[in-house]
Amino acid sequence: MVAYIARCAAQLLVALVGIVTVAFFLMRAIPGDPALYMLGDFATAEALATLRARLGLDLPVWQQYFVFLARAAQGDLGVSVVTGEPALAEIWAAVPPSAALAVAGMTVAVVAGVPLGIIAAVRQGSAVDVGVMLIALGGISFPVFWVGLVAILTFSHALGIFPALGATSEPGLLKGLHHLALPALVLGLSVAAYIARLTRSAMLEVLGQDHIRVARAMGVPERRIVWKLALRNALIPVLAVIGVTFAWSLGNAILVEAVFSRPGLGSTILKAILARDYQLVQAGVLVLAAAVVVLNTGLDLLYGAIDPRLRQR
Amino acid sequence: MDETRMPPGFGRRGLLAGAAGIALGGAFGAPVLAQGSRTLRVRFGSDISQLDPARIFQNENQSIAGHIYNGLVQYDQRTNEIVPDLATGHEVSADGTVWTFRLRPNVTWHKNYGAFTSDDVKFSLERVLDPATGSLYRGQLASVKEVQAPDPMTVRIVLNEPNSGFLHKVCAFNQGWLVSRRAVTEIGERYSMNPIGTGPFMFDRWTTGSEVRLVANPAYFGGASTLTDVIFRIVRDETAAAIALENRELDIFYALQSPDVIERLRRAQGITVLDRPSNNTVNLVLNTTVGPLRDVRVRRAMMHAMNRKALIDGFFRGTKFEATSVLTSTFQEFSEEGVPRYAFDPDRARALLREANVSNFRFEITTVGLNPFDRFPVALANDLQQVGIQATVRVLERGAYVQARSSGNVQSCITAVVGPPDPDSPLVTLYHTRSHPPGLNTSRYDRADALLAEAARATDAAGRKAAYGRLLRQTMEDLPVLPLYADRLFIAHGPTVQGFVQNSLFTVNVSPVSLRGA
Repeated sequence: MVAYIARCAAQLLVALVGIVTVAFFLMRAIPGDPALYMLGDFATAEALATLRARLGLDLPVWQQYFVFLARAAQGDLGVSVVTGEPALAEIWAAVPPSAALAVAGMTVAVVAGVPLGIIAAVRQGSAVDVGVMLIALGGISFPVFWVGLVAILTFSHALGIFPALGATSEPGLLKGLHHLALPALVLGLSVAAYIARLTRSAMLEVLGQDHIRVARAMGVPERRIVWKLALRNALIPVLAVIGVTFAWSLGNAILVEAVFSRPGLGSTILKAILARDYQLVQAGVLVLAAAVVVLNTGLDLLYGAIDPRLRQR
Repeated sequence: MDETRMPPGFGRRGLLAGAAGIALGGAFGAPVLAQGSRTLRVRFGSDISQLDPARIFQNENQSIAGHIYNGLVQYDQRTNEIVPDLATGHEVSADGTVWTFRLRPNVTWHKNYGAFTSDDVKFSLERVLDPATGSLYRGQLASVKEVQAPDPMTVRIVLNEPNSGFLHKVCAFNQGWLVSRRAVTEIGERYSMNPIGTGPFMFDRWTTGSEVRLVANPAYFGGASTLTDVIFRIVRDETAAAIALENRELDIFYALQSPDVIERLRRAQGITVLDRPSNNTVNLVLNTTVGPLRDVRVRRAMMHAMNRKALIDGFFRGTKFEATSVLTSTFQEFSEEGVPRYAFDPDRARALLREANVSNFRFEITTVGLNPFDRFPVALANDLQQVGIQATVRVLERGAYVQARSSGNVQSCITAVVGPPDPDSPLVTLYHTRSHPPGLNTSRYDRADALLAEAARATDAAGRKAAYGRLLRQTMEDLPVLPLYADRLFIAHGPTVQGFVQNSLFTVNVSPVSLRGA
């Protein structure tokens, strides 16, 4: 187990360095200039040169890269060129609202997706199955920003149940949850559709296997077959998908944050990209990548707990 | 929409039986009732980026700064007249080169940064003039020779030569906003997001991508606001913002652009939609140093080819105004006398192109990927194609657009100069040689410097207006810049907002606002 964890940690490090390197060069490959962004339409050549020198942008890119790596190794991800605050601190400040949205969204996704998938599998071919799969197809097909706008029009405008703004600075947990509910539903339902389809196919595969047939022949109650014997085996691919969809839902979260005017990592990184705030983008990508890699590593370890065969490999 | 709608109850929930989250929504009661506090909530379309007057630009930044800072003088929000602010009065020497301002006593800086004195004025102006500051507005104060502080309540500004428009340069906007020597020195690099002023509101906090909060300054010299605080919420989507305004989650909707949303809010109960011409036109700036664009006949042909009225009536559904030059009617120096007009006349355009012997002309409009600038040029390109110009539109993301434009290597670009009602703001920016790239004079026009200097030397308002009038005539004959439409700013507010005045600066200022029933 220790060797397994060590291997995961090594992979994590390599993945992070790789991701940050790609982000570093991609940001510099796109046209645009942070100094121009900061100085705006009335920038003079002289003011631009002064600012570029101050930001270290006058150095060759490879030199900037090694300066960045050396500092990052010491935990210094630089300072946001826009605000002058440490980049990592700004990113950390954006983590709580994003984490709240991601956790709430994934909760909705799992709570809705897994049972729907099971029901569709058990009633394969029935109207319920077709209905659930149609809804799931819709959930996957409709872009999340469109679903978000429809949700605002329905639940905020027509019914007045949820606020149109997905965040509030007013104190109070209930108030915060109330603002979070609609964005979490919208984010969660798109992932739930995916999980429902996968749970259905995994369940169908397991339900068709010999040991289930034997259990049925031996008169084991159907409820026990579905929930005890089949679900546990079907959960392994579903867990894997939860890991993958977490990364995918981070992309969707940016859109959800924009539609519902929520603060968070998505809007912070998007704004940083538009402003060519290199340090902030790098810090954001690093934190996001670390979150995805750590989550997937955690899930790898969880598979081991669920399926002893994986531990022996 | 009905503002007195019933709070959600079980009957309504029944409509949505089965939908996840309904119980959660009901559990927290009605979310949409107006708050009982004296917090004003204003919608912003995009985030702020910096609040240091030496480097400030963009409407959202300027809107926030307008609440925090004062100038020696200020624009009256209603009339654009220049009226006292931190200076109670001023005198000008007979030769027009020495301006002496008497300062308002007993004014203090926010957050215990001490008393406001003439030394702060001297520091503020010299800071903009210092090349090390890298201020965007150094050129605005180019006529300043020296700033003196003979006593704490007197400032004397000595100019190199008379400048009839000098008060505009020290008006409360951009470089005219005054900063505290002590605050700027002590706060250092982090000043841009920790601003200290003397205005009616103090900066409290900024949550990136989400909101900015200002709190009322109890010691404000003009009397403390009846509001406790103002929250500027960033809501990018206009439809979502309109619903939030109707639901009383917001009080003021700033930067309303979409004709659909404007119509919607005009019909909504309890919502007031205001509009005002702003100080800027939106222009197609032609690079007069390349290809057929060097020929004035080609530029005039383009002006005749573009159906700008159809653009305003059709695309913008009447939410913009016609532009006759790059000055709008909000400027006191605005004039149409003798300024040539270019009617929509495709035949005349074709004839001018034939006369100039131009055929197979490939023309590219570079524009920024922001609404509406990424869409309306398509209609203009289509108009140009009708007269035989092979026009295309290149839409760039903002960062790439700014870089392309400042390189000067674009055939044409869409440019708007949003600023104060100081005619130098658009005219120097678009026509003076000192604004050649990376500045916004991407047409590389070079025939305006003498006329701009003449306007500055004029000793009275009439002389000043006449000089600017000559410049407008000449530039509309030469057409390095094609004014497409005059901008118009829409702002909507809810029923509890009282005393709101819309300015023409394209900013929002809620200093005089109070909340009814709060």
